[in-house]
Amino acid sequence: MSETSVAAPADLAELRAMLSAVAGPINFIGGGTDMLIAGRPMPAVGLLIDLSRIAGMAFICADDGGIRVGGATTVAAIAAHRGIATRLPALAEAAAQCGSVQIRNRATIGGNIANAAPAADLVPVLVAAKARLGCIGRDGASRELAICDYAPDRGFLIAEVILPRDGLLPRSAFVKLGPRLDLSISRLNIALLAEFQDGRFGDVRIAAGALGPRPLRLRIAEAALAGRKLEHATLRDFLAALAADVDAAIPGRNSQAYKRRAISGLGLDLIAQAVGLSPRDQLFEDVVQ
Amino acid sequence: MNQLSRRVPLVDGVAKVTGALRFTADLDVEGLLHGALVLSTHPHARVARVDPAAALAVEGVHEVFWHGNTPAHLYNSSIWFSGQKALADEQMFPQVVRHIGDRVAAVIADTEEIARRAARLIEVDYVDVPTIFDPEVALGHAGLPLRQDDTPTFLSPVAGETFVYGDPEAGFAAADLIVETRVTTPRSHHCAVETHACIARPEPDGRILVLSPCQSVFAVQAVVGQALSLPSEKIRVQKTPIGGSFGGKAEPILDPLCAFFALKLNRPVIIRYDRQETFTATRTRSSVTGRMRIGLKSDGRILARETETLVDIGAYCTGGNYLPSSMLQRLVRLYDVPAERYSGRAVYTNTVPAGAFRGYGSPQIHTIAEISLDIAARRMGMDPVALRQRNLVGPGAIEPWQGLDLGNARGRECLARGAEAFSWVGRRQRGVGRGRWRRGVGVASATHINGCYPGFHEETTASLRLLPDGRAELICALHDLGCGADTTLAQIAAETLGLRACDIVIVPADTDTCPYDLGTRASRMTYICGEAIRRAGVSLARSVRAAAGLELNTPADDLRLEAGTVRRRDDAGIALPDLAARLASRGIELPAATESYRAQANPGSYAAHFAEVEVDRLTGRVMVTDYLAAHDVGRAINPMLVEGQIHGGVQIGIGYALYEDVAIDLATGRMRGDSFSRYTLANAPEMPPLRVLLVEEGEPTGPFGAKAIGEIATIPVAAAVVNAVNDALGTELTELPLSPERVLAAID
Repeated sequence: MSETSVAAPADLAELRAMLSAVAGPINFIGGGTDMLIAGRPMPAVGLLIDLSRIAGMAFICADDGGIRVGGATTVAAIAAHRGIATRLPALAEAAAQCGSVQIRNRATIGGNIANAAPAADLVPVLVAAKARLGCIGRDGASRELAICDYAPDRGFLIAEVILPRDGLLPRSAFVKLGPRLDLSISRLNIALLAEFQDGRFGDVRIAAGALGPRPLRLRIAEAALAGRKLEHATLRDFLAALAADVDAAIPGRNSQAYKRRAISGLGLDLIAQAVGLSPRDQLFEDVVQ
Repeated sequence: MNQLSRRVPLVDGVAKVTGALRFTADLDVEGLLHGALVLSTHPHARVARVDPAAALAVEGVHEVFWHGNTPAHLYNSSIWFSGQKALADEQMFPQVVRHIGDRVAAVIADTEEIARRAARLIEVDYVDVPTIFDPEVALGHAGLPLRQDDTPTFLSPVAGETFVYGDPEAGFAAADLIVETRVTTPRSHHCAVETHACIARPEPDGRILVLSPCQSVFAVQAVVGQALSLPSEKIRVQKTPIGGSFGGKAEPILDPLCAFFALKLNRPVIIRYDRQETFTATRTRSSVTGRMRIGLKSDGRILARETETLVDIGAYCTGGNYLPSSMLQRLVRLYDVPAERYSGRAVYTNTVPAGAFRGYGSPQIHTIAEISLDIAARRMGMDPVALRQRNLVGPGAIEPWQGLDLGNARGRECLARGAEAFSWVGRRQRGVGRGRWRRGVGVASATHINGCYPGFHEETTASLRLLPDGRAELICALHDLGCGADTTLAQIAAETLGLRACDIVIVPADTDTCPYDLGTRASRMTYICGEAIRRAGVSLARSVRAAAGLELNTPADDLRLEAGTVRRRDDAGIALPDLAARLASRGIELPAATESYRAQANPGSYAAHFAEVEVDRLTGRVMVTDYLAAHDVGRAINPMLVEGQIHGGVQIGIGYALYEDVAIDLATGRMRGDSFSRYTLANAPEMPPLRVLLVEEGEPTGPFGAKAIGEIATIPVAAAVVNAVNDALGTELTELPLSPERVLAAID
């Protein structure tokens, strides 16, 4: 039985060479916030590659085109990035609400995806934004795939997250519901990207976490909002649609009864954030009377 | 004379924050071996086979222990002196495991890593036997086959307490309103930062030394002695620094195992639990189902009250048999109720054992009683503050169960001054609002004990001795659990001697060098140990003045101790180090004093807490938005530490009201909340603005007028928060914690 060895490649070229040269099992470690906690056995054998020191794997590029985020970029860096706050505020918001200060300082966007937790906070935003992942395979070669096609057991390293320009919409929002405000695993989280002009929604994409093994699009709710004017009737239809999405996602689950109700509160918070209103605005209060 | 009512920093604070203080797991002990346990994965099963072969084959493994090669002596981990009669149903490694997390085997190896790896290789065959997870079901059950020979070993209830006072029937007959409630409190866990750990080391003289972060070295000695069938003089126990306990370390759990392994292998042994083991294999606060019936006059007077409690004590008795009576003891100290009937029962279930947790029954019974009283207030349209004010006991009241004088009981002042400071009336008039978010306010009163009088030989002994450098050494078996007892007690000693708290050298509790003490429990440190220390200090001061009389050519009565100096009236004096040097040069022993103090009273500490909450009617989330805690502490020796106790108590209480539950699955017996990711504590962002108001009217029997704060700080919190939620929503929620699911279900 061979012990685990650890490698810390300095750049992507060295990493690629390592991947193609090593025959045994390989595991990656980014921030380690899920891997290093007690109760999770570390891999007993093979090579553990530390991604935190690879030059060029932690970056954010949010120019006029799309947005590109290096796989080893920390959640804290995403939360603090001005370009992301401007272009995709939902991602900044999700990053700001992920874990605790200490976790955000270590955890990476690549790890948030690869850890594949159903409640991962960044992933609904990425799904709604139709993100693509720039991956490196075991052969050291690059390939790109849609986030929906990513599976952690295929051995792909997430080198960068690509948010194509045409996937972004002018408004976005992220809200979560956990047992407490901070250091909280989402019981429900929702991301929304939308066009919204002159009080009317255009194209709308919504994805939610903790409603299944992986975040999913809420198609019924999207349809209830798309092309509609922001008014009481729309919001009522939207809330009913959200409940229908929950019913479709987790029929018969213990949590269904709670989540189908609670999602209405989250839904209103989501719309308020997206259009820049307070969730305590009379518009929303009227809907729940 | 300036140590009282002062915000003296913790005497061990710098050592703690710089990391200089070594906790048990950090201790460097030569030749230390490491243990890892195999814990049962079955809730109730006969351990048919333990195969250690694969574990023993691992390099670095010294031994595997299980029921086949360890003593089968029955013991009770809650006893506090040798020879104490108690229902002994625990064993190091029982042949029939009674809960998931019960002990099956242990591996001792060169490192913890090897021990844990080898422990996973031990093969265990379990033969399942029927389980009981629900306390109501346990009541109807007449016992289970638990011994090897299938003999039933216990009956539920394990213990009961009944009490009748006055004429309850007449009281209910005269009542204008009778309210009946059923309140359930969750099983919560201590979550101390330091997980459980213990080191045992064989000594050259054949004795065993146990190094334990414990609440009483003498309790550890007694339990280890019972488990190993060893006489006390063979066991020496030293207290190590404690990284939080809250009652979780009151019962020695690892200590008997470590002691046995160390003696057997003739090597020092450490076992330390990880977080999950501390959740599943130590203790919790018992969950209680309370049924209460209150008969009231329309003016708010309580005429009669009837209470039934059902306590789930888990798989082993430990101290759970005391819970029904300790809940009664605390219940009858708060209100002047002319007719009372109480019946409490404790039952076994196949779940992790319950034990001490900050209040020992008080949080449960006051939560039950205060939520019930609030429901009564709402149903009769009376202000909950006014209803309480009408019924609270006052100074000099005698409680009906043990006939004890409750001392300078200032619950009414807490309520009145707290309500004023919280703008209670104004906030209630503002209303709850109409929309998605509703605001509510809640109040709860509480009382708690000061020590164990009249039971349990409530006395302690303190020795103070002048040191050559002018400081004073304090010997008293003290166990500061992290909340500052050592600092408070050093202030008391220093006050009597004209020194500063940091001039008092506290000798760590040690069964070889300290006189017997019950330990840190029952809110007795300041009130009981503090009084013994005060008396020893007064006595030492007298000796020091007498010794200085000749040096200063002044009668001792004309001398005073001040700033480390013995002074005459004209301020001429001699510094204590100089006095010590002169005495030493003449071959005179330095002054010392020992005083034993036996408690003569058990007054009540009192409190009133006020909470404001906001409830989201769509998600069921509750936020506590403002909080005020008013406490009758007699006198605050150290207001900063008193406030610290209250802040921590409120935080634990908010968790108790809203989040905390180890959540035993009633189908499988598994604990769902066995990690910090699944067990939600109220962390700092959840905490509301928190004000503390101290009522300092002085308790004549307490040291410098002081009474206890440690446990009562958390007792009224859950009820105040729940009452605020019920006020906000117009509900009668009585099942804790108030999870969002429960809140939503109540507002259908």
